[in-house]
Amino acid sequence: MDVKKILAEATSTLGVSGHEAEVAAYFAEQFRPLVDEVKVDAMYNVIARRKGNGPKIMLCAHLDEIALMVTKIEDDGCVRFSSVGGVDPRILPGSRVWVHGAKGKLFGTIGALPPHLMSAEDRTNNYKMDKLHVDLGMCAETVRSQVRIGDLITFNTPFTELGGNQVAAKSLDDRACVAILLRAAERLQKLVCDADVYFVCSSQEEVGGRGAMTAAFGVEPDCAVVLDVDFALTPGCGPDVACPLDAMVVTHGPFIQPKLNKRLIDCAKAHNVKLTQTVAGRSTGTDADEIGVSRAGVPVVLLSLPEKYMHTSVETISLDTLEEGARLLAHFVSELDAGWEEDLWI
Amino acid sequence: MDLKTLTEINAPSGHEQPIRRALLAELKEKGFQPTIDRMGNIIVVKEGVGPVPRKRVLVSAHMDEVGLIVTGHTEDGFLKVTQAGGIDTRVLISKRVLVGDDNIPGVIGAVAIHLQSAADRARVMGYREICVDIGAKSKGEAEGKAPKGTYISFDTPYVEYGEGFACGKAFDDRVGCWTILRLLEEELPCDLVAAFVSEEEVGCRGASGAAFAQEPDIGIVLEGTTCNDLGDIPEIAQVCKCGSGVAVSFMDNASIGNRELFRKAIAIGEKEGIAHQVKSSVSGGNDGGVIQRAREGIPTLVLSVPCRYIHSPSTVIKLSDAESQFELTRALLRAL
Repeated sequence: MDVKKILAEATSTLGVSGHEAEVAAYFAEQFRPLVDEVKVDAMYNVIARRKGNGPKIMLCAHLDEIALMVTKIEDDGCVRFSSVGGVDPRILPGSRVWVHGAKGKLFGTIGALPPHLMSAEDRTNNYKMDKLHVDLGMCAETVRSQVRIGDLITFNTPFTELGGNQVAAKSLDDRACVAILLRAAERLQKLVCDADVYFVCSSQEEVGGRGAMTAAFGVEPDCAVVLDVDFALTPGCGPDVACPLDAMVVTHGPFIQPKLNKRLIDCAKAHNVKLTQTVAGRSTGTDADEIGVSRAGVPVVLLSLPEKYMHTSVETISLDTLEEGARLLAHFVSELDAGWEEDLWI
Repeated sequence: MDLKTLTEINAPSGHEQPIRRALLAELKEKGFQPTIDRMGNIIVVKEGVGPVPRKRVLVSAHMDEVGLIVTGHTEDGFLKVTQAGGIDTRVLISKRVLVGDDNIPGVIGAVAIHLQSAADRARVMGYREICVDIGAKSKGEAEGKAPKGTYISFDTPYVEYGEGFACGKAFDDRVGCWTILRLLEEELPCDLVAAFVSEEEVGCRGASGAAFAQEPDIGIVLEGTTCNDLGDIPEIAQVCKCGSGVAVSFMDNASIGNRELFRKAIAIGEKEGIAHQVKSSVSGGNDGGVIQRAREGIPTLVLSVPCRYIHSPSTVIKLSDAESQFELTRALLRAL
């Protein structure tokens, strides 16, 4: 499996929260050769099953992405927008975007004031989203013939390979973790595994774990592992809130099942997978929050891939860490035996 | 050489070598004998076909662009940078860049929105906070790949889009360079001193030397200028409009256009039906200032292509305006 190729393709495929059909179809195809059954459900969750007679485990990473949405077309042709999910307005000035109109996607750019014309006050405040616009290089009449209110706007930032086996792109949150699921599925083909494994690429995480909620109801798992990104160390983002880029992260806290978490940590030790440990005092802000209270309840753990510059169009991860995450996940699933539930709450 | 090729060459102020090499090769291939002066300007003199004495006209465009320069390295391998030419830090966040002559890919990130306080969201990040990430894991690795003084450019390819528009970096002022290359193909009555000058973006340093050395009778500066014609901008602050033709300046912060040349340009534009507009605000400044005040003074005029989002990774021009710049300049040179 060429992970880099998958990430390059996946991050350039449309899949804004609530509009995941394209990226769901893409990931369904990627899972097909690795599992027994694949389906895309009514919420655009991809559910890929590797059949087994042991415990039923759900492995979940979200496939949706944050983006923008058209709110108004001005008489000078400017397109106004709001955000879908948590887009940082600071990333917008000077950014290139795709506006997904009726006749396909249109190239656009988000303007910024020239330094020559800024007042001192302009310089000291960040742009607010409602003051920005997309320039499609067209008059209002042409724009209105192709673009409607509610159309999607995604970032046009090519996939970039950096040094140190790191890659940067939009929507690596959380498609890099879907790639971990794919690599784990591939690795499991060479491992003994009793578990009944459901790989779930969930929709609408960026607007509140909505896809994972219905997917967990449908799968009805015995336990679950959620994979999402976590903050990696960067200038201005220190060890109080962030983790090193080069190791997967486990989270402790009330939303995480402690014995299942210990099993994950012990598994990492046994296979020499480096882990960073972090704490979420309440909600984790991931699909784990919704899955944990699905039906009668699901013991859940969170395994995170550190990511620099989360929710920008240059989110950056380490491919080495991604691969270690897949290795750990495959072993964890493979070693989940019939007795996993004994002493879970004692 | 087309506008795509010209704008995609990375050459911030003070590091014009890549564009200089490309222009030299192009000029030599076309049979010219370009020279390089003490400021790194490229000069080509093409004699006119008119009767002597002919006017000696300096037509100048700057070949440098705004960019960044490495000032240091953090312990964990990030590059610290400052601007080479004026770049508002707010256009840098979440952008891709190319570092050094080996074009090492880099990104400029920011702390995730989840971790920002309300004050963080409002506050503009200064150059002290901006870092370029090339994936280096240590200070030593970063220093090895991008030592202090390494130049950095935006990584934004040239794209034609919409109804005759183009989006890219460095239209300011490769569009002027492009126009000069096209003018050199023309037979003109005057002697044309074509100058591709250096270091405009850091204080019009190249043109100053070129104007002194070339002693022209007249100076014409071909520029890309600010255009602010969309969105919440009142008409009075728009400077000029994309698509309304070449912008003729009566005055900016560096020079007052020679009145005779200004009137002549407008009259010729009107007579020959060449799209033109008067730049409607006194803002910015360019090589016109230093050329006008070289030696004992030179009558000078600035003719600009309107550039939306100038000095950002994604500047926008309307291609018909570049055409107007070429046509009006050619007509003016024919009429001198």
